[in-house]
Amino acid sequence: MIAGTRVIDFHGHVGRWDGTGMRDDPDEMLGAMDAVGIDQSCLFNIFHPDGRTGNDLTARFVKRHPDRFIGFAYVSPLMPETMTPELERAVDHLGMRAIKIYPSYTPFPLDNPVWDPVYDFAHRRGLVIITHTGIEPTTAPRFLSQVAPRFPGARFVAGHAGNVEPFRSQAIRAAQACPNVYLETCSSFRSPGVVEELVRKAGAERVLYGSDTPLMDPRCQIGKILTADISNQAKRQVLGENACRLLGI
Amino acid sequence: MTTLNFRARVPVFDANIGVGHLRNRASPFESPEQLLREMDRHGVARALIYHLEGEAMSALEGNERLLSWVDGQSALHPQWVADPTPDSLAQLQQLHRPGQLTSVRLHNSRECGLPFVDWIYGDLLEWLAAERIPLWLSLADTPAVEAREMLRRFPDLVTVLLGAHYSHSLIVRPLLRQLPRAHLELSRYEGLGKIPPLIREFGIRRLVYGSFYPRYAMGPMLFSLHHLGLETSDLELLCSGNLDRILKEGGDR
Repeated sequence: MIAGTRVIDFHGHVGRWDGTGMRDDPDEMLGAMDAVGIDQSCLFNIFHPDGRTGNDLTARFVKRHPDRFIGFAYVSPLMPETMTPELERAVDHLGMRAIKIYPSYTPFPLDNPVWDPVYDFAHRRGLVIITHTGIEPTTAPRFLSQVAPRFPGARFVAGHAGNVEPFRSQAIRAAQACPNVYLETCSSFRSPGVVEELVRKAGAERVLYGSDTPLMDPRCQIGKILTADISNQAKRQVLGENACRLLGI
Repeated sequence: MTTLNFRARVPVFDANIGVGHLRNRASPFESPEQLLREMDRHGVARALIYHLEGEAMSALEGNERLLSWVDGQSALHPQWVADPTPDSLAQLQQLHRPGQLTSVRLHNSRECGLPFVDWIYGDLLEWLAAERIPLWLSLADTPAVEAREMLRRFPDLVTVLLGAHYSHSLIVRPLLRQLPRAHLELSRYEGLGKIPPLIREFGIRRLVYGSFYPRYAMGPMLFSLHHLGLETSDLELLCSGNLDRILKEGGDR
């Protein structure tokens, strides 16, 4: 908790990425969370296109600290026949609370129909989908402006909020145009004024704190919110109130 | 306990702030007063500043423009940019005579298409080492192999390595072992759990806080360092003491 606000980190990973030094040590992750008052972190494993392998790893990781970690399901259109059955298994049997997709690991842009089964699943179940957005051709946030209105029951979160310009502006425009699009803040590009811009242009109720833990330290990423020149009420919304509302927790 | 608002609780001397506009990016601040306001918002008392024009266009002209930023500003300390031209070295030598030179930052060699090798930069580094003037060098702009090879040729030269990112995670520790006079500036080094092992292996004196403002926001890394669980004395060294020592003495000898 920070000043009475439940703090949710909306973007984190399970798995190892040794080339970057990333490792999912729960004690280290919890230590960083505790150091700044992060109550829960949302985690997913994006390294296995079958979905099942990574989702099982995520579920096992979350099970060790179910009060601190929230699992999100991952599927990939590289193995399209697995997507809907695996989403059903992950949500209904593993207890995943939302869905992560990562178009950068596929040749398919976010608006390619190959993703529709994922969007339709989220639409029917009223779930959140968080997607990587940024400079990669498959992940341009402008695609969300086309996809989100077709699946109004789903809530779309633009991970990294586009990361850099001109993609950040695309993400903001998607949020302005579509009531079911949200913007998440983690990025290794810590440009000044970004959190302020997201809040000013999309509204504090549409911005979510995320860190990319353990790739990045949640302390530094939450520092973006706490040192931003925005109101304390906006900080509370970004830090956790919006995430609690979206996840129904 | 974390609160919704943050100000540094130890003296802070930022080791990495660029001023002025880039040719392809306008700065969010246009005057020393605006920069000082942002520093004050985070509790940053002093900053080592260089002119961004020096990075890729002209060290000479960037340094000339820097003068108006530091004139009469006790909180803003000048850092001069160097490129491998004879004019640049001559300018640095001229600045050094009245004692205005406490550190030098290498221009962006990669953007200028130059390898960081002794047959291009040797004269500059030889002079800096002889005069005990520390060099700031960006790992984002300099291949680690070149940095290692070059700096080992000048073992007395004190350096501050900038720009290390999580993608440098497997490079940083071996490089610091290879370069005992090197310090690491932390603005971009934010992989989870990456700083405490550096402190354990190399000691707090090898690490320096910088913000990389205005390309990075000023507050987040400062906030993060305040929440690493460091002793106050170590936090003070990290946030200001080490930089003071490096500038005063050319680092540890």
